[in-house]
Amino acid sequence: MSDSPPTGSPPAPPAGGASNRPQDSQELEIAVLNRPGYRRKEVSTTAHFSAGLLRLIAENLERMTPPQMARVMDILQQHDMNNFLDPSFWSGARKALEYQLREQLGLLQRRLLGTYEIDPYGMDQEMVEVVRPFLRFMYRTWWRVSVEGQEHLPATGRALLVSNHSGVIPWDGAMIATAVYEEHRESRIVRNLFLHWFSTLPFVGTTLSSLGGVPGLPDNATRLLEDDELVCTFPEGVKGVGKLFRDRYQLARFGRGGYVQTALRTGSPIVPVAVVGAEEIYPMLGNAESLARLFGMPYFPITPIFPWLGPVGAIPLPTQWSISFCTPIPTAEYGPESTDDPLVVFMLSERVRTSIQETVNARLAERRSVF
Amino acid sequence: MKTILITGMDSLTGIYVAHALNAAAPSARLVGLGRGAADTLVEHVEMLSTPRSGYEFADLLKKERVNVVIHLDIAGEYQPVLNREQALQQNILGGMTLLGACVTAGVQRVVVQSSTLVYGASPSVPLFASEQQPLTRSRPSGLLYDYVEIETFIANFRNRHPSTDIVVLRCAGLVGAGVWSPLSHYLTQPLPLTLVGFQPRVQVLHIEDAAVAFALAATKEPVSQVFNVAAERVVTLSRAIALAGRQPAQVPEFFFDAARRLLPGRESMTVWHQDRDFLKYSCVADIQRARRELGWSPQHGIEDALHETAAYAPKGKRLQEKTQRRVI
Repeated sequence: MSDSPPTGSPPAPPAGGASNRPQDSQELEIAVLNRPGYRRKEVSTTAHFSAGLLRLIAENLERMTPPQMARVMDILQQHDMNNFLDPSFWSGARKALEYQLREQLGLLQRRLLGTYEIDPYGMDQEMVEVVRPFLRFMYRTWWRVSVEGQEHLPATGRALLVSNHSGVIPWDGAMIATAVYEEHRESRIVRNLFLHWFSTLPFVGTTLSSLGGVPGLPDNATRLLEDDELVCTFPEGVKGVGKLFRDRYQLARFGRGGYVQTALRTGSPIVPVAVVGAEEIYPMLGNAESLARLFGMPYFPITPIFPWLGPVGAIPLPTQWSISFCTPIPTAEYGPESTDDPLVVFMLSERVRTSIQETVNARLAERRSVF
Repeated sequence: MKTILITGMDSLTGIYVAHALNAAAPSARLVGLGRGAADTLVEHVEMLSTPRSGYEFADLLKKERVNVVIHLDIAGEYQPVLNREQALQQNILGGMTLLGACVTAGVQRVVVQSSTLVYGASPSVPLFASEQQPLTRSRPSGLLYDYVEIETFIANFRNRHPSTDIVVLRCAGLVGAGVWSPLSHYLTQPLPLTLVGFQPRVQVLHIEDAAVAFALAATKEPVSQVFNVAAERVVTLSRAIALAGRQPAQVPEFFFDAARRLLPGRESMTVWHQDRDFLKYSCVADIQRARRELGWSPQHGIEDALHETAAYAPKGKRLQEKTQRRVI
């Protein structure tokens, strides 16, 4: 219950916005992480989770005015935030997050009315900053993503990231973008290509666009790459996301190789990305095709918790993820004229697919448990 | 000495284009055709009497030795349309007649006004449509139908009459001080309808920039035949409405048809009222070709342009349809 003196040197607070956070919350987090018996590798899940929650509350605080910050610290002080085994910790965290969300409703309302600034492709920079703490929470605490190979991404200039796709809803795209932002030395922004059908849905299309997504059309991808952006695409498409649980981690067909043509046309290196852990967040046992047709959706997932438990079934399972960026495949040597050479296109597409599948298999073999 | 004929001189666009031509080609002789009274509206523009038939038009062109024709006489573009059938005749049949007369009279170049909306709005249209993008495949309504028909006609006509240069300028919605256009009419009405959950990107074009583009297309030697012309930046539809000084009325999609019927001024509906696609998806054009080949570059940003429009359409009052004649 009381603060224990730190055993050994305390772990360094996370880099980045730590300097803006109020002293008290930093101390709280360090105190939680420094409970006796805690060492970096042996962290209990609950300790890790509660530290992550505190970090989320603290990062949200950075965007608040002083009176709002005072109110949040008030709430936190009323509860015993040092001891995550005490139910008072959890009710304190819940109250603080609810307060922060209510205060941010004004911001969200402005977003709903649409009077925000956008970049030429429709991205709302402010919204991206607001959502970042939540995505960081999912990245570090919920899914505990481990990343390797981020040095394969160029510091500047274009590259096409090609990844396997899974998980019913494109969380993997969000996590790849978060991984690059957090781990790459230049903190680059990744533009995800989403199926253009999503633009037909109210709210979904707008949200995806304002967070930096772009409809997956060849013209859009070409234009982004010519602007020297990082673009991420999922060639499996709907076939990948709508995979049944028993087919997990077997890459679906990669299609006609349109993404390779885009890379050849713009001379962008292709970086294969292997995401492990996303298949199990919504284990899809079946696909209710008639319901899918009724709602005009590409598939209607049947999982152990959705649709039986309603919206609660939409909460993804907290599996452990790993994202591996493989050795990039340069395309400049083939020249833009090989864009229309099916032999080159299919050869490269097969190379990318093999690279991803092998990396996925390797990571799966190393994985000790799903959670 | 070059002679340039401008049709549609009773529109504000015609006046601005004449002004731009005075600056770009001071040695050219300007003649104009309008549907209103044939009084001189702009210095240096000689107003002609409207010919009654295509043959009369061809004779007029031969007599005046016209080299370039700039066709701005599009019903519904600078004034609301009351009689749809009449507008269709004027736009499509009138346009075909004009082109036939130009070819017969040996006019060297015809510059035709069109709209960026011909690309249509759908999820499969790229974020920036270049000139090679095919025209919309869904059946358009109102003025947009006329534009698509004219463009389709011109595409075929060009092949059969290669001696005449036909340049099409696809303009984004015109805005500016006191400019009536289908887009400014939509943005400045008391409660513009928008759909809940959708925020398409919109593009505008300031009338002065449009005029400069027309002047360049009429006088320069471009290689291509079609150009997109629009301001550089885009904003969301709701932000455009806010910049024009109005509040959007957000309605869910299933309620849209009913809400449309309740709107006042239904008879002069523009495509922005009727076609829900433009309220859901973006229709934005890429202006690189006009920059590269015409040497054109937009001087007015979207925020300033919409503020100007708002200043002429104070809250509670509709944008005046017939703006006062101004001698520039």
